[in-house]
Amino acid sequence: MSKPKIDTIAAVSTPAGRSAISLIRVSGPDTFKILKKLFITGGKKAFPLPYSVYFGSVIEPDTGLVADKCLVTTFPAPRSYTGEDLAEVSTHGNPLVVSRVLQLLLKHGARAAEAGEFTRRAFLNGKMDLLEVEAVSQLLSANTSSQARLALNQLDGLPSQFVARIRDRIMHHLVQLEASLNFPEDAIEAIDEHLLAREIKKILAELEIFARNARSGALVADGLKIALLGRPNSGKSSLMNYMLGRDRAIVTEIAGTTRDTLEETLMVGEYPVKIIDTAGMRQPGDRIEAIGIERTSKAADEAFALIGVFDGSQPVKAEDEIVLNRLRQSGKPVIAVLNKSDLPQQINPEIFAGLRQLSVSALKGQGLPELQKAISQIIAESGLSGYEEMILLGAQQSVALDKALTALERADRGIGNIYQDMLAIDLEEAVRELGRVNGETVDVNTLDLIFERFCIGK
Amino acid sequence: MSQKKEYAVIVIGAGHAGCEAALAAARLGAETLLITMNISTVALMPCNPSIGGPGKGHLVREIGALGGEMPRCIDETCVQMKWLNTSKGPAVRSRRAQADKYLYRQRMLQTLFATPNLTLRQGHVTGLLVESGRVKGVRLETGLVFGCEKLILTSGTYLNSRIILGRATWPGGPQNQSPAVGLSDSLTAAGVKLRRLQTATPPRILKSSVDLNLMTELPGDVDAGGFLWENRLRRYEKQISCYLTFTDERSVEAVRRNLSESPLVLENITDDGPKHCPSIDRKIIKFPDMVKHQVFVEPEGWESQELYLQGLTTGMPPAAQQDIVGSVAGLENAVILRYGYAIEYDALAPGQIRKTMESRVIEGLYTAGQLNGTSGYEEAAGQGLIAGINAVLALRKQAPYWPSRTRSYLGVLVDDLSTWEKPEPYRITPGHAEFRLTLRDDSAERRLAADGFRIGLVDQKRFSTIFEWSARIEGEITRLSALSLLPSGEARERLARLATGDLKKPASGAELLQRPGVTYNNVMDLLQQPENSRLTAVDEVYALETEIKYRGYADREAEKIVQTSFLEKVRLPLETSDHRLHALSDQARQILGSSRFDDLSQMVRKHCLTRSEIAILLSVLSEDGDRQERHEETR
Repeated sequence: MSKPKIDTIAAVSTPAGRSAISLIRVSGPDTFKILKKLFITGGKKAFPLPYSVYFGSVIEPDTGLVADKCLVTTFPAPRSYTGEDLAEVSTHGNPLVVSRVLQLLLKHGARAAEAGEFTRRAFLNGKMDLLEVEAVSQLLSANTSSQARLALNQLDGLPSQFVARIRDRIMHHLVQLEASLNFPEDAIEAIDEHLLAREIKKILAELEIFARNARSGALVADGLKIALLGRPNSGKSSLMNYMLGRDRAIVTEIAGTTRDTLEETLMVGEYPVKIIDTAGMRQPGDRIEAIGIERTSKAADEAFALIGVFDGSQPVKAEDEIVLNRLRQSGKPVIAVLNKSDLPQQINPEIFAGLRQLSVSALKGQGLPELQKAISQIIAESGLSGYEEMILLGAQQSVALDKALTALERADRGIGNIYQDMLAIDLEEAVRELGRVNGETVDVNTLDLIFERFCIGK
Repeated sequence: MSQKKEYAVIVIGAGHAGCEAALAAARLGAETLLITMNISTVALMPCNPSIGGPGKGHLVREIGALGGEMPRCIDETCVQMKWLNTSKGPAVRSRRAQADKYLYRQRMLQTLFATPNLTLRQGHVTGLLVESGRVKGVRLETGLVFGCEKLILTSGTYLNSRIILGRATWPGGPQNQSPAVGLSDSLTAAGVKLRRLQTATPPRILKSSVDLNLMTELPGDVDAGGFLWENRLRRYEKQISCYLTFTDERSVEAVRRNLSESPLVLENITDDGPKHCPSIDRKIIKFPDMVKHQVFVEPEGWESQELYLQGLTTGMPPAAQQDIVGSVAGLENAVILRYGYAIEYDALAPGQIRKTMESRVIEGLYTAGQLNGTSGYEEAAGQGLIAGINAVLALRKQAPYWPSRTRSYLGVLVDDLSTWEKPEPYRITPGHAEFRLTLRDDSAERRLAADGFRIGLVDQKRFSTIFEWSARIEGEITRLSALSLLPSGEARERLARLATGDLKKPASGAELLQRPGVTYNNVMDLLQQPENSRLTAVDEVYALETEIKYRGYADREAEKIVQTSFLEKVRLPLETSDHRLHALSDQARQILGSSRFDDLSQMVRKHCLTRSEIAILLSVLSEDGDRQERHEETR
């Protein structure tokens, strides 16, 4: 008998909903390998020492951007809850932050744990007695499917109704398709592939809006990232401190002081904005600075918008040109901030032609309202969904939504080129996954629906 | 002359289930007695004169791959062969044959007589001999008693059957046969639970009284090939057509004015009948706005003067039937030769059969066909074959044959049947087969011939021939995956002529073939492979193209197949006193320890386990699996 191989699993262990701290558990042979990729410790202590607590950041390894500041506690095998290598990641309680961290773990090698899977492993490795297993497994099975529902019910139930309607629409066509496949001689109206193709496109478009609202929800709950770019010593860190109203970044006269990206969240109007201070853009002086600059690049790529910071009291330098090019080529909303407006201005303002541009003195505290207004404007112009449209999805729901979209995209591309029996498989997958977005696991039983709708008799 | 009294296997009933069961058992070497109430009606088709269609045709192909008889018999005796669903995709593509009902019976009868180890007897079995829960033999109306080790009961629609025509009702089997009386009581006494089911058949009319000019002719396909692998390229030059006509307002009116005489309205019959072939009265009641219902006019044989009216099934009285038939275009002057009728009969209540077709109640008893709550000749034949095979395997004390639902429609059929709980009879369709991209008509032999060989119904010669054929296809698939086309100017030009998109990086032959509209020969041209190195047989090219074009979709299915077959291998009942299973709910543990399900896959499909319970179970099982592996290693 072949058996499934032991892999590494991850899941949120605290109940869904907002709480101050959420706990994500990771268990399995790759636990520490995955965390080494994602978790940057704050201190000097080597990671992972057994049974230790670390403070640090969970980052997106591709961009170096911080997903959350976390506590990670290590429990190497066999003296852990599951008897395997296990880590507990305590994140902030915001469900979207939790979901991001979980998604990162899933993306980098962990698998979403099934209900009861930690308990199963604990049990398998002789870590629990049977009464404990029973108690925990009941609790887990009670939590999981309702967990997905909870997130939607936090709102007014409209998103789940929307998903259910879309699901019904696809189901309607699937039933007709299946009827004609299963009962070819029963005079079931042949599928009009052109009409169906149009309908799939329409559904896809609506579902994409839904997905965008979900992404907007995730973006906003997480803070809209705005990266500060500029050559060294242009005053990015001063500007950040000024915007925050306190000293967060270390400001020195020495260019290149900020070697890593720093981020802080502030409210601009009704939106949380995450300002990311980056290392200055220039030829790096050493390896650490080089890494910093590389992260700057990635931060800029990941950001929702960019603020270019220029020293207005100096003539344009070659490094400013690099920044300018970056701004112009980013395709993102951009603001050029001319800092040090309290000093005599030497920069040639013409080089900013076509860019949203304003002057600030971080030192003297001038120009902040204008900057906030500019940020509000770029948010307003960004096409971000309105607050009332935003949707909060859990990690599993996002995965299901993506799968549904992928299946529909496949159907959209395929229709006309693939056989209808394959098309039916794509539509069925979309129906099933949309059910999961709503936290349902129902059998997709088309046959019963066929008999209800069509007069089958041949 | 003395009559032998003891048989290894006795089969009761010589319908489609009984014939396959008896042939399989005898061919596997068991001394087999086949008892039928009437030797003249062996392999009778009391309803529609056709075999095949999506799902059903797949079953027939699989019966052939395993070494059963139905495909051979229908291939030889059909009056028409047709492909269905050709444009909708290989997964649902299927043959359907129109049978010569008389030739089919004759040929099957000859086969039965010609089969060694098989004895055919006419007789009416009125009782089972059961001792301490084990079947011992049968008692006939005449007082004769036959002993057996395994009994296969295929009573069709005959058990305590009753014919209903409007208000008239009398005990009777299909087509004026006698009902089987006594057996039901005997089964009930042994603890078997029965229920009533119904079905119905349309009137048959005189061919010369019909105006075919008012109907659409539906010819067969000359190059459809037969169901049996050996007949796959057979051409059917001579065929008879079917005809299609429609009901209209007159027919709806005719049904409505006679509705008070419908068994549906009189309620003198159970309501549990096949959903997929409702009577014309039911259709008019259920879809009141629909006026145009199809009526297929089908021949019953080469020489037969009777036509079958598919779509006008009814149990209404004769006058009403005449009224309704006469309302249909082309049938205005139709002379009814045999009236349609409804029949009500005893079938097993759900939950009493295993996937092997063995009874969960009486040891040594196997059941197959309509008794098990199915409808259709093909479903019956499939179950009969599985029952026959398993009866002999059990005689030999060998492990039973459990066809997996991941591997065959036969597997889907027996798996669904052993867990079927709905009131209506079960009919196979591709909609029941979640792995239908894998279970294609063209792949039947590649899925099942090895099983047939291992069981012993496919001999060495046939298996080798099929194996060589299949190896040729597999080999070419491998070659096509290895050959690659480089994006040279010339290659791109050749591609452009095929109007199938550009080539930016090297592509394998298999990748090229996955492009829409590209054929195997296109690819071989692109790759400049000489013609004499190619597959030429149309069936081989078709199998190869299908396999490759389906690959992306089939791969997605493959992952789920692994999960399902893993669960299927965990047989129930389990030893639930195992202390590690105490974490499960009492209910789950109770089901696991009972014989309600055959395997874990069924229990999961029926939502009898929570996901955490599945997880715990799997952990215990894989722990045991590990221990066993270690144990085997150290030996």
